[in-house]
Amino acid sequence: MDSHDLADSDNPRDVELVSLSAIYPEIQQVRQGDPYTIALDVPVSPDKAVIVYFPAASDTANGAPPVDRHELAHLPSLHLEITFGPDYPFEKPPSVAVSTNPPWLPAETIKKLEDDGPRLWDEMGRDIVGFTYIDHIQQSVENVFGLVDENGALEVDAQHKIAILDYDIQARRAAFEKETFDCGVCLDPKKGSACHRMMDCGHVFCTACLQDFYNNAIKEGDLVSVRCLAPSCARDRQKAAGVGKKQKKLKTYISPSELLQIPLDQEAVKRYVALKYKTELESDKNTIYCPRQWCNGAARSKKHKKPQGLDLADDDEEDDEDGDSASDNSGDANREPKSKPYKVAEELLAICDECSFAFCTRCLQSWHGEFVRCTPRRDKEELTAEEQASLEYMKLHTSPCPTCAAPAQKTHGCNHMICYRCQSHFCYLCSAWLDPGNPYQHFNEAPGGRITSCYMRLWELENGDGADVGLGFAGGPGEDRGAALAAAAVPHELVPEIEEPDDDEEAERAAAAAAAAAAAIAARPAAQQGAPQARDGHDNDNGQIGIAREGPLVLRIAGNQPAGAGRGGPRRAPPQRPGVPAPPLHAAEGIALPNHVGHGLARAVPAPPIRGRGVDARAGAPRIGAFARWRVRGGGPAAAGAAAPNRQNNHNHQQQQRNQAQNAQRRNNHNNLNGGANNAAAAPGAPPRDLELDLEAGVGGGGGGGGGLNAAQEAWIRQFVQLAMDDEEDLLLEDDDDDDDDDDDDVQRHGRWQ
Amino acid sequence: MASQKRISKELADCSASPPAGMSITLASDSDVHKWHITLDGPVGSAYAGGRFGLIVSLPTDYPFKPPVVTFATRIYHPNVTNDATGAICLGLLKPEQWKPSTRVQSVLEAVRALLVEPNPDDPLESRIADEYRANRAEFNRNARAYVNKYATGPVTFSSAAAAGSAAGSGSGSGDATGGKAQGS
Repeated sequence: MDSHDLADSDNPRDVELVSLSAIYPEIQQVRQGDPYTIALDVPVSPDKAVIVYFPAASDTANGAPPVDRHELAHLPSLHLEITFGPDYPFEKPPSVAVSTNPPWLPAETIKKLEDDGPRLWDEMGRDIVGFTYIDHIQQSVENVFGLVDENGALEVDAQHKIAILDYDIQARRAAFEKETFDCGVCLDPKKGSACHRMMDCGHVFCTACLQDFYNNAIKEGDLVSVRCLAPSCARDRQKAAGVGKKQKKLKTYISPSELLQIPLDQEAVKRYVALKYKTELESDKNTIYCPRQWCNGAARSKKHKKPQGLDLADDDEEDDEDGDSASDNSGDANREPKSKPYKVAEELLAICDECSFAFCTRCLQSWHGEFVRCTPRRDKEELTAEEQASLEYMKLHTSPCPTCAAPAQKTHGCNHMICYRCQSHFCYLCSAWLDPGNPYQHFNEAPGGRITSCYMRLWELENGDGADVGLGFAGGPGEDRGAALAAAAVPHELVPEIEEPDDDEEAERAAAAAAAAAAAIAARPAAQQGAPQARDGHDNDNGQIGIAREGPLVLRIAGNQPAGAGRGGPRRAPPQRPGVPAPPLHAAEGIALPNHVGHGLARAVPAPPIRGRGVDARAGAPRIGAFARWRVRGGGPAAAGAAAPNRQNNHNHQQQQRNQAQNAQRRNNHNNLNGGANNAAAAPGAPPRDLELDLEAGVGGGGGGGGGLNAAQEAWIRQFVQLAMDDEEDLLLEDDDDDDDDDDDDVQRHGRWQ
Repeated sequence: MASQKRISKELADCSASPPAGMSITLASDSDVHKWHITLDGPVGSAYAGGRFGLIVSLPTDYPFKPPVVTFATRIYHPNVTNDATGAICLGLLKPEQWKPSTRVQSVLEAVRALLVEPNPDDPLESRIADEYRANRAEFNRNARAYVNKYATGPVTFSSAAAAGSAAGSGSGSGDATGGKAQGS
């Protein structure tokens, strides 16, 4: 039977069904062949959105305020099944079955709604009630069948939460798609199905415009533009959101998931996420980048999480973290002073997000574990002159602890050091770790007769290390020696004499040696002015300053060193670049303390034993060293030669003064190296035998008084050491007595030599 | 082209109901990307009585990129360059602030609002901005002087007019400095 048959009938039941079908076209027959049972879905979409909350089980007991609240415009619709029985409408009311899917309505409500049918039928005077009933149901949707409380809230069993929320979303979308919108960008009216409603602000634009605009912005890297396209949208929202409240900055950017919904290409969204992460990292100056040149990825950070897939780290979460960490930091700051001596391991250890390289954030080397001390790698260019100077100074006047690398500067005392930081015992001279049980072994002969390079050197630098050390450094035996050294600046006594070399190779060697010697000797730029006073044998500040200023050329003479170190000892010392000016600290110093004689170019470190041909180095040299208290650092003869030019002007000048009449012209043609060589060659440098005795006597006297040496002796010692380093000391021994003062002869030798 | 469609639509809307005190024409009938606007100085402002030419250039990727709006008539204003360019400093026209759903009509209304109330905190001409803040009477006098000098005749948008006003810029700035001397 269909509606036509019904329409022909005058049965009131049939008449009613026809009119109901006309009013509610969505009415369906439940069963084939039974036109009197109809089904109808009544949407539960109150005009005013209902606040629905889903109480958790525990909440219901104590009546705690509902937490899980949602404002829903659409609830799952009510399914009505009305059966108009054969006795309807006059004898029996229609039977009504009400249901919802999911069954979110309480049973009482269902029952009440079902009972409303017969009740209304009764009230109507037992007549047709179909429309009245359906209308009644539709009316009661507005207050959700009386379930909404006075605050407009509706409580629904939590088990239906997902289904109900889902229904709402779908219903909203369906409603949205049916609407028509004027896109603010293209100004065309568009069906809702071709539009997108912005999640945060609700503005609607057409999909095509959004795609065009966002794709373009992402392509150009203009991330800021990926936001709602409505004018002053963020500002209005901000105004609406935060009146009086503590304002949290509103999120204006659009989440990747929303971009995908619009929908944008996955590629574009990927790029968006990557760019956003990148700019986030770049705007954080604390970001650490992978030291691998080919990688340069950012290190993992709690603050900026690398996006996984297309998800950005949640902004809210990030903010919370910021807040937490900020409060943590302030808490820490209150608890302990800011300058923590150590960075804890987790601060130091960084792991590259890209290549998973684990590295140390301080030294940017691969991770070395928590207990290795390291220093930041820095570019020389980055350092200010002051920093540079202090680094130079540290290099020159401190020794690193072998355990923690903390630099230590000795102010006085012996060379057995205990690290102020980690309490390691170590040797100041060579930074060797020392056994706390017997630290002095290092300076003595070991049981097997083995000795270290620091043998017998426990008390070197007794007065401390450094150019500006005040404590226990002023005065002392160094004073006289300083004077004596200064006195040695007397030119004609300085010039070593070397036999005319046999061949070119020999000559080169000699030249190098001579250059070294000359450099060492000429360690007094002010020698010219200083010399007259220096000859008096008194303290001579000029001379000392002159020496102190001579920074660059330092030769370290170290005996008893491992293979290759004996002769090549000097080369082990950190090479000083030629032409480097003396560290500012030295230069800036107005008055040089007496011992500074030893601290500028040649520092007051005794020369260690020298092994050389034909000389009893072990017997003699240490004493000489101990006596003279000088240490020569540098790259050996070669470096000396390279460094020599600085000084040779002086030297040449002296010689010129001496030899103006004869050689001025020719000397002008000399190159620097030759000049140095000449000087060296011209100096016989052979001390009288008795001088040597004096020397030893001086040492025997406890090294207390340097007065036993005259300038010439000092000079000889210098030469000897220099030559010994080149194994040329036998030259000196062979050529004894042809000692001083024959300037003319000197020059003639020069001449010959050239 | 999407932009042309929108521009045509906007032009139709604007022409049908132009913002107060404005009339809109196209620079040439074949090009919807260049609009010529004649703007009457808002009553009550220092520019009342003047007629100013505005040129609105809509880029090809409009509305994704903001239009460029310039004064074709010289104007003495903290937010308009005091030269033949007539560039305007207007927040909503800045690329980073531009929203594609902003319409030319709103832009024009914003320009008009700028004449009523200059924004000396974001000036293009800081000297004029200072004057506007410190010596309003002097500013008004100078603005009126400019109106009388440049904005009284029929509005011209041609480059010749721009050149003409460029030529006049020397004397214009002379006036300005003269005015300043008086003020101090």
